[in-house]
Amino acid sequence: MSPLDTTQSAQQITRILFQGFPGWLEVVFYIVGFSAIGVFLYGCYVQIRKYRRGRPLSIPALGRGAWDMVLAMLTHRTIRRRDTPAGNTHWLIFFGFGLLFLGTSTITLEYDILAPLAGVKFWYGDFYLWFSLVMDIAGVGLIIGLLYMMYRRKWLALPKLDYARPDRSPPDPDYDRSDYRREDWAFLWALVLIALTGFLLEAARLVWLRADPLVWDLRWWSPVGAVIAWLLDGAGVSAQGAGTLRMGLWWFHGLLALALIALIPFTKAKHIFTAMAALAVRDPRPAALLPKADLSAAGIGASAITDFTWKQLLHFDACTKCGRCHEACPANATGFPLSPRDLVLTLRELANDTLSAAALPPREALAAIGTGVNQVRPETLWSCRTCAACVEICPVGIEHVPVIVEMRRALIDMSSMEPTLQKVLQNIQTKGNALGENKRKRPAWTKKLDFQIKDAREEPVDVLWFVGDYASFDPRYQKVSQAFARILHAAGVDFGILYEDEMTAGNDVRRVGEEGLYQHLAEANIETLGGCTFKRIVTTDPHTYNTIRNEYPEFGGRYEIEHASAMIRRMLAEGQIRLKKKLEYRVTYHDPCHLGRLNKGYDPPRESIHMLGAELVEMKRARDNSFCCGAGGGRIWIPDPTDKQKPSENRMREAAQIDGLNVFVVNCPKCMNMFEDARKSTGNEERFQVMELIELVAECMDFDQQRAAAGQAAG
Amino acid sequence: MKILVPVKQVAVLDEDFELRDDGLDADPDFIDHESNEWDDYSYETALQIMEAHSGVEVVPMTVGPEEAEESLRRCLAKGGERAVRVWDDALAGAGPATIAKLIAAVARREGADMVFAGTLSADHSFAMTGICVAAELAWPHVAVVTHLEYEPGAAKATVQRELEGGLVEKLTVDCPAVLTIQLGINQPRYASLRGVKQAKEKPVDELTPADLGVSGEDLAASACFRLRRMFKPAKGQAELIEGTAAEQAARLATIIKELKGAA
Repeated sequence: MSPLDTTQSAQQITRILFQGFPGWLEVVFYIVGFSAIGVFLYGCYVQIRKYRRGRPLSIPALGRGAWDMVLAMLTHRTIRRRDTPAGNTHWLIFFGFGLLFLGTSTITLEYDILAPLAGVKFWYGDFYLWFSLVMDIAGVGLIIGLLYMMYRRKWLALPKLDYARPDRSPPDPDYDRSDYRREDWAFLWALVLIALTGFLLEAARLVWLRADPLVWDLRWWSPVGAVIAWLLDGAGVSAQGAGTLRMGLWWFHGLLALALIALIPFTKAKHIFTAMAALAVRDPRPAALLPKADLSAAGIGASAITDFTWKQLLHFDACTKCGRCHEACPANATGFPLSPRDLVLTLRELANDTLSAAALPPREALAAIGTGVNQVRPETLWSCRTCAACVEICPVGIEHVPVIVEMRRALIDMSSMEPTLQKVLQNIQTKGNALGENKRKRPAWTKKLDFQIKDAREEPVDVLWFVGDYASFDPRYQKVSQAFARILHAAGVDFGILYEDEMTAGNDVRRVGEEGLYQHLAEANIETLGGCTFKRIVTTDPHTYNTIRNEYPEFGGRYEIEHASAMIRRMLAEGQIRLKKKLEYRVTYHDPCHLGRLNKGYDPPRESIHMLGAELVEMKRARDNSFCCGAGGGRIWIPDPTDKQKPSENRMREAAQIDGLNVFVVNCPKCMNMFEDARKSTGNEERFQVMELIELVAECMDFDQQRAAAGQAAG
Repeated sequence: MKILVPVKQVAVLDEDFELRDDGLDADPDFIDHESNEWDDYSYETALQIMEAHSGVEVVPMTVGPEEAEESLRRCLAKGGERAVRVWDDALAGAGPATIAKLIAAVARREGADMVFAGTLSADHSFAMTGICVAAELAWPHVAVVTHLEYEPGAAKATVQRELEGGLVEKLTVDCPAVLTIQLGINQPRYASLRGVKQAKEKPVDELTPADLGVSGEDLAASACFRLRRMFKPAKGQAELIEGTAAEQAARLATIIKELKGAA
């Protein structure tokens, strides 16, 4: 449907730019406009120069990353996660702002480029009218989104938007980061004012040009402007008065918009670009596969801000302070001095302070680890469990774990660590295990079995079971290892172990930052495995699973590896494991970080539990939002202070809320170690048990009864 | 200004072990080796002085076979630029006074201004090697040092020793001197494996006793004792005697008779 019949008058249906401006005033506007763009471009240059002061890094598969970024932008899926209203309203702001920006760009394209250079015009007639309507809708969307953001800041008062820091106390100058709060509000108000004055301007123009039917009769194509115009009309505003109002609003709106554009690279508005770039360069496995360090280089890790890669510096700038990592972090939740958000913001501020000027300051000023303002404290770095809850939920793809591990590498190199951790690392150096046990005692747990496990060093096996430290030495978990051996034996699996020659796989050695020892362990284990004949590896330990699966390939160790829970699910489904009875229990399942978040092994354990007949009740924090037991990242080797709640205790209290819970099912030797203690320290010893999935399977296979029967028969 | 730090690679026995056929040592199959814990503290003491002052050199040394080089590498991973290892197969089983003679010879050759040794070694626990070094050099010594105040080049050092009951003894000693350092004097740093690997580039001078001008006779003469036998003492068994007083007395009498008979 065409609103007008003749093409001649269609040309006149448009908005005359700079209508009523004296020539000199238009010139003034162009000077202001170009200055704003100049400041913007200079700001971009300063930011890019800042990132380029980081270490070089090449991004593989950038095309795929860019495509993922486009999808994330269009769907807003990363922003919707765990906060749907914020995601939806951000979507309104994003598309509202984006369309309005495109609209302005369209006008510029015609007025400043195509029309003067080629005489091409298109911004009139039907196109103009539809354009007006779309811009009005976009403006309404933008305002709704902004008002919600103001509402959630002011009235919802979400704890995750409180910038007060768990790693600082009130006298510290960077304790509450109130400047950030002010910046948030300034940004929101600036955008709201731009949008509102845009509508007012639109209305004032309508009233001003009331006499022109090509404007006034078509005013409902900009419905918001038309409604406001109706109000202005009703309030008795004259055409002349509206003209004056329009001139004032025009400049206010224009200058505010240009000021915002100029300030984008210097304010939180830069996330428009940095968040997109951060998503495009994100790594698919940031916490599962840590960067390999060159051991022959002069230094190791990141102790200065320039030791981070350009990508990490970019990531620091991408943070929108949304607080999802702050909320998800188990260290932060239990009062440890770490918030992933604050870590990122600290490093951002340090980079801004030291890398923005034309020349670099001396190396001392670049120190990223320390106790000063904008420095990360060692205790903050040691609080991390490398559970990747932060990485998982970050809507802009920031990779906190490698940042922390790089800084830990520097701490280890300076020998800045807890004495207990130092002792453990020394044990691993000399004995190959973290518990300080003699190498020869590694297979001692097998002595309780009434069959001999094959020695994979001596004879070929189908399945090589990489047992791991805690599964070999922890007395509680030895029972699980024995149960798993019985299950495999009963199922007729041809399996073997490495006996004394197995060394700790090194997952957590790498995550505490002892990269040299990690590489040694990986190489030594790969050499041992190289001397054995097997088809695939199985392990009950998600940490071992993670590093062999994701990190050993970089050292030449490429294997097919399965976590025990996946193998059990398969054997249950294929009938290889024969159950004598079903479970009547009500259970809940705790996802180990290294199996779940890091390797997406969420379903096999759950399916196994269902096949055993147990009733599975999920905790609120499950699957990708699972709450770390506190043992990851080498924290199992550093005792938690007694005056704080342990992450494992926090988790036990969550589980205890499930009515009639019989069993808290774990699937990792370190989780077992943590939760057996926490069950007692939280007073839940009488209420429910902590059991391994493997133990539930063994219970259904009724080994005890079999053994008793065998004993009777022998007697 | 140079500080010589003699270190030792010590033997760690398995929980279950057997003795060598000659009965003079444990069977090597049941022995692991590691750096002596006390030497971590003496080396840290030297490194801290080196780092706090310019012109101080710290040289770790050991008297031991090729495997013992590992302990020197661990030292060099923490700091220091070169090390000295003295060995000759004839030195196998050498006692502390013999080892001390060689350490003293290295101290002279290096022109060392101080020698910091560990108080004792975890395997043999003689606690006399350091003191014998002082005797060889005719330097004063202080043993079991728990605190040290020393300015490089100063004529005297102030040291503290912890005595029984928490009593602390503070004394000054003329330098050069030999100090044997006790656990806990500091917090020894960690030798990262990367550091150990990089330390492989640092030179270790390999010397024989002959290179140091110590002859076989000198070594033989320095042995101040001879190892006769190593053995696991038979474990005594306690027995709880139960029953009435008469029964207990009867049982006791039997035991006494048995023991008399056995003697």
